[in-house]
This record gives sequence, C-alpha cells and structure tokens, in this order.
Amino acid sequence: MTEIVKVQGLQKKFGKFQALSDVTFQVSAGEVVGFIGPNGSGKSTTVRILLGIIKRDAGIAEIFGKDVWKESIEIHKRISYVPGDVSLWGNLTGGEIIDLFMKLHGSGNKKKRDYLIDRFELDPKKKAKTYSKGNRQKVGLIAALSVDSDLYIFDEPTSGLDPLMEQIFQEEVEKIKESGKAILLSSHILSEVERLADKVVIIRQGEIVEAGTLDELRHLTRSTITLETGGDVSEIANLEGVFNFEQKDNQATFSADNQYFDDILMKASKLGVKKFESIPPTLEDLFMRHYEG
Amino acid sequence: MIQKLARWNILFLQYLKRDWKKMIIWIAGLGLFSAAYVPAFEEITKGQGLIGMYETLKNPAMISMVGPTPIEAAAGYTLGAFYAQNMLLFCSLFAMIISVLHVVSHTRKEEDLGLTELVRSFEVGRQANSFATMTETIFINFLLALFIAIIMISFGADTINAQGSFLFGASIGMAGMIGAGIALLMAQIMPTSSATTGSSLGLIGLLYIVRAATDISNTNLSMINPLGWTYLTYPFTENNWMPLVFALIFSVIIAIIAFALEGARDMGAGYLPEREGRANAKKSLLSVRGLFIKLNKGTIISWFVTFVVMGAAYGSIYGDMQTFLESSEVVKQMFTHSGISIEESFTSTIMMVLISLVAILPIAIVNKLFSEESRLRLSQLYATKMTRSRLYWTSIGLAVISGIVGILLASGGLGGTAINAMGDDGTMDLIDFLVAGYNFLPSVLFFIGLAALVLGWVPKFGKAVYIYLIYSFMLNYFGGILDLPEGLSKTAIQSWLPRMPMEDFDATVFITITVVSILLMIIGYLGYNRRDIKEGV
Repeated sequence: MTEIVKVQGLQKKFGKFQALSDVTFQVSAGEVVGFIGPNGSGKSTTVRILLGIIKRDAGIAEIFGKDVWKESIEIHKRISYVPGDVSLWGNLTGGEIIDLFMKLHGSGNKKKRDYLIDRFELDPKKKAKTYSKGNRQKVGLIAALSVDSDLYIFDEPTSGLDPLMEQIFQEEVEKIKESGKAILLSSHILSEVERLADKVVIIRQGEIVEAGTLDELRHLTRSTITLETGGDVSEIANLEGVFNFEQKDNQATFSADNQYFDDILMKASKLGVKKFESIPPTLEDLFMRHYEG
Repeated sequence: MIQKLARWNILFLQYLKRDWKKMIIWIAGLGLFSAAYVPAFEEITKGQGLIGMYETLKNPAMISMVGPTPIEAAAGYTLGAFYAQNMLLFCSLFAMIISVLHVVSHTRKEEDLGLTELVRSFEVGRQANSFATMTETIFINFLLALFIAIIMISFGADTINAQGSFLFGASIGMAGMIGAGIALLMAQIMPTSSATTGSSLGLIGLLYIVRAATDISNTNLSMINPLGWTYLTYPFTENNWMPLVFALIFSVIIAIIAFALEGARDMGAGYLPEREGRANAKKSLLSVRGLFIKLNKGTIISWFVTFVVMGAAYGSIYGDMQTFLESSEVVKQMFTHSGISIEESFTSTIMMVLISLVAILPIAIVNKLFSEESRLRLSQLYATKMTRSRLYWTSIGLAVISGIVGILLASGGLGGTAINAMGDDGTMDLIDFLVAGYNFLPSVLFFIGLAALVLGWVPKFGKAVYIYLIYSFMLNYFGGILDLPEGLSKTAIQSWLPRMPMEDFDATVFITITVVSILLMIIGYLGYNRRDIKEGV
C-alpha cells in the first residue's frame, strides 16, 4: 500500500505550552485512519501542521512524500479538508461559498456538488449568517467532497449534524474509501470511527498512546464475559486474567484478558457451561481505558 | 393585555442591570459630545467669529450637511444659534442610530440568538420583552436629555439659557425615541436582525438626505420629516416645542403599530420573507481577489463617500475664506503663512488632514486579512492550492489601489467644491489640488507598509497602526501652534513631505518614502509567509 501521510516524532510548542511532544502515525491509500482524543489533546494542532498552517518544531511530517511546510501548495492540490468549526462569511450564500472553495481548490465537479447539496438537504440560496452550526458544517463538507482529492482530512466533521446527516456523511466517506483514497478522520464520535476506520490512533496530551487496527487494539484488552455454569462459578474468580468478577447465584460477569480465554474455557467446561456470552470491547472502552488512570 | 405584558418589570430591571455600563457610556459619551463643546464654540466665535461662521453656514452645501438656522441676518446670529445649527442635527442623528442599535440588540437580535425562546418558556408575556426594551430606551433617552441640558446650563455661556438647553436636550432625547420606534417596527417586518438594523439605518439615512434637499429649497417641507422634528425646534432662537409634540405622537403611533404586528406574528418570523440569495457564485467572486473585493466592498464604498463629503465640506469654506480665517486667533495661526495666498496655505494644511483620513481605509483593508484569519473563515481555504503570498499581495494591492482612489476622491472633492465656491476669484486649478493630494501618496503607502509589517510579524497589534496614524496626525495638525522641536515632529511621517502647494515638490523625499514603504511590505511578506496562522491558539 502506498504511504500517503507520514508523521514521525512530531513536536510543537505554543509559547511554554507543549502541545505535541511525540506524534507518530501513517495513513495509506485506501485506508481510513481514525484519530481520536479528547479536547485539547493535540488533534487539531496535528491536523494544522499537516495542512502547513502552522510550523512544527521537530519531527517529520510528509504527505505524498513531500514536506508539509515547504511544499504545502503542491500537496494542497490533491487534498480536501473540513475543519470542525466551519466559519463562513455571513453575507455570502452557501452556494456561493461552495463554488468559491471548489474554484480555489481547482478540481471541482459541478454534478457532484449539486448531488451533495441535494443529499445533505442544504438550501444554497440562504445567506450564511442564517445557517445553524449543522448547516455551516454541511457547506464545508459539500465543498470538500465535491472536489477530487487523494487525501481527505476531516477534523470532527460531523459536529452539529443530525444523525441522518451523519449517516449520509459516513456513506459518502465509504464511497471515497472504496475508490482507493486515504482519509484521516479526527472525531469524538467513536461509533463513527468504529464504523469507518481501519486503523485507530489515540492521542493524549500531545502523545500517541495507542495505534493499530481495531482488531489489534481489541486483542490487547479485555472482553466482557457472562458465564453461567452447573457447578460453583466462583472457582473462575481466581484464575489468571480474570478481573472485576461479579457473581449472582451461578451466573458471573467479569472481564477477561483475551490471551487467557483458553484456560478460562477449560475450567468452565469442567463446571458445565449453561450460558456463555462474550462482548468485545467497544472503542469507547478502549478510549476510556486510556483516560481513566 | 396584562397577560401579554406579564413580568415585563422583571425583564426591565434585568436590562438595567445588564446594561448599566453601556448606559453610562451612552449617556456620558453622547451627552458630552452634544453639550460639552460650548466653551470651544465660545472660543471660535470670539470677535468677528460669529459673522464668519454665519457666512460660512449660509452656504447651501453646509446647510445640506448641518441644517438651517432661523436667523436672517448676521447681526442676530448668537452663540446659541450657532451651537444649535452646528450640533443639533448631528447629535440627534447619533441618538437615533444608537437607539436603533440598542432596540434591535434587545429584540430581534435576541430572537435570532435563541434567547427569546428561552425567556418565553417562562411565565413571561409575549410582548413583555419589547415593552421592557422600549421602557428602558425611554428611560435612557430621558436621562440623556436631562444630562445634556444640565451640562449646557452649567457652562453659563451667553445666550445658552435654561429653556434652550432643556429644549436642546429634549430634542436629542426625542430623536432617540423616534429611532427606537422605527427599529421596533422594522424588527416586526424584517426576517433577521441584520436586515432590521440595515433597513432602520437605511431609512434614517434616507430621511437625512431628503431633509438636506428640503432644507435648501423650502424648510417648511422639512417639517413633515420625522428627522426634521428634532433640529427644527431651533433651541436658543425660536424655542419651538411643537415639533417635539409631533415626534412624540409619531413615536407612540409607530410603537403601537409595532406591538400590534408583534402580537400577530410567530417568534423568529417577520412579515417580509427572507430574500433569496444566489445558489451559484458569480464568476467575479471566484478568486481570492474577487472574494476580498466582495468582503471589503461595504467598507470601501462608505469610506469613499466619506472622502468626497469631507473634501466637499472643506472645499465649501473657500468662498468665505477670509472671514473664516479672521474668525479666531487659533484658526489664523494654524492656516496662515507669510507671503502665500490664504487659499494655498489652507489647502496645504487641509490636504494633510484629508490624506490622513484617506490612510484609514487601506489600513483597515490590510487588517481585515488578520481578522478573517483569526475568525477562522480562511481555515478551509488554506488547504487549497491558494498561496499565502496570493492572500497577502491581494490585500496589499487592494489597499494601495483604494489609497490611490481615495486621494483622488478627497482632493478632487476638495478642489471641485473649492473652485466652485471661489468662483471667478480662484487662483488654483483642479490640477493643483490633485498634485497637492498625490504629493502625500508616500505617507499613505507608508501606513500600508506599517500595517503590512505588523500583519506579517505581530498581527495582534494591528490596531497600533491606527494609534500611530492619530499620533502623527495630531503632531502635524497642532504642530503649527505648539512650535515643536524638529526631531519630535519628524516622528510623524507626514512631516517629511513638503506641504504643497505652499512648498515645492521634493522628488527625493517622495521616492525615498515610497521605497521604504515597499520594503516594509516585503519584510511583512517574509513574516507572513513563514509564521503560524493564528487559529484557536
């Protein structure tokens, strides 16, 4: 797979505040990388460095093998970007702003624009000052999706959108992905990332704390297991890799390290399994694990 | 009715609490502006000053700007008559505009922001908010009128008597109420708060222009103009209270109409449908240049109009130049230099004033780029193939062009009117005025260069350029009276340039300052091209 985005050991300070201390990740063609982290963790700073809007202090940041600061204009010809807070000129209409963005980008597709305006149910004749947050976001999304790019950078793109519109956004992203484009999706909405992302990068206080495919990440953590046995279920509690054991009669709920599944199942089958349910961790569980101590 | 106004008194008290700082600035600011010039006017009108002023203000161009006086001979022109003629219309206009902005901010604006929705969910009447706002506005304008009257009386100046002062203050307060009424009415009709503000101010502007025409042709016709009901009270001369009665009746009637309209409409809706914009952009918008022209269009046009009007205002004095200059020692000292005709001497000083004014617009255009940046409106544009250098040089280019056109308008406005006013006695051609104006072009370029430098390296200090402009203007304007040391006066850029037509053109200085200005722009560019874009930092 072609490497589209390469970030290595990225650092950035604002005055005395160390916004990024060590950020490393890659995005390849045909891949959606979910970039998650709470407010102030450095997501937007990383994105802005990638766009060449702000200059990094140290580290490597390349897109299409080109330096993001020195060759930003070359890079910009082939990328699309939607900020999390789309801010528009109040006295222009949504339609005018979309046209302007497309023109400045260069490779706009009028048909796609009209199709997207229709899909997102935007009224392009209204002045931007009358738009709600969600409608402003739609303007940014339509402008970015109407142009043909090789990399799409979305910084919390669906903030303010209703669930129906979120769904449409996700469908459109899936289409882009299928056509082999790379996508960097920074988001708070973990279900969205879970649905779209092949890889997840978790950032915390300017540092990457976890990166990998969802499966890989899941493997590193624990599943939630509900088990009902014929014999005394409490014997399970003392096994290695079993945590948060809670028992009610002969039914127990606990979390288990994935690598000890075999031992747990062997023991359980001796007791006579009546019911066995395993729920893999959600992205939210993974996420929370990094932020709750 | 009682139910519709339920709890208006709570909202009213809440507004007083919320607005007390605004009220102090409003009353003190506008009040002092209206009343505190009495000593200054006393100074100007000493000796033969009043006669000079009377002659100057008899000029139709001046009447169209400041309004008429009932006095028919220079001998009867008193300080009070002069003060009322010169100040009342403008102060009334300001009072109206501030009241419009205030009423819109508490009615339609709160509706647009969704605050009204929240307030209405409580046990609050449908019209309580409008009623509370209007009560507050009446209260403020009443205090304003009282404040103005007391300040004026306190000076104890000749012919500025108590009755006239109260009428003067009341006229301004009543002007505020007319504005409040118009705004409340428009708030019901228009679909958004910006349309409400726009249409209310537009209407007031229209009233102002109509009265300019009727004041010149037939003052009686100005009596059917709501704006006329303010300055036609003629305080200190005729002391006519009748127009205020008309104004009161008018305000009450439009307020009642507004309340009736409000009672019958949905919250957030207006009687006029929202105007549809374009679904597709015009070709002219589709470039960085097109975008920035569109963004700056309003500012550019209104400043261009200001340049012409200011030029014309000063130009209209040329006819009575002698009387004006002899009106006071201070004025004389400022504008006369031995061995040079008064017109030329006056032109050289006034040109400095006008071109300093012209410099404001280009600075504003350069600073606009940073305000767009910090308001995140360019975020998505940075990610296109548009370059920073395109953004920067487009703004600088627009600033330079608007400076060049601005000088043309200001010096042309001055020259055109002056030549007209001087008639056959004129000693100067239009070209003399234009040359004198363009002689100051390097100073405008210098201010652009300074603004560009700040934009590139320390963008948050954009306002500092205005402070330097004011500083250097003051230094030049009062330099003649104060006899400043050479070193100090040279800290103002205008001081380096010769004052044409009084002095001769100096090509070396002209070229040097131009080159320095261009260098500043280039240094600014180097900074702009490599600094972090200030976004949410």
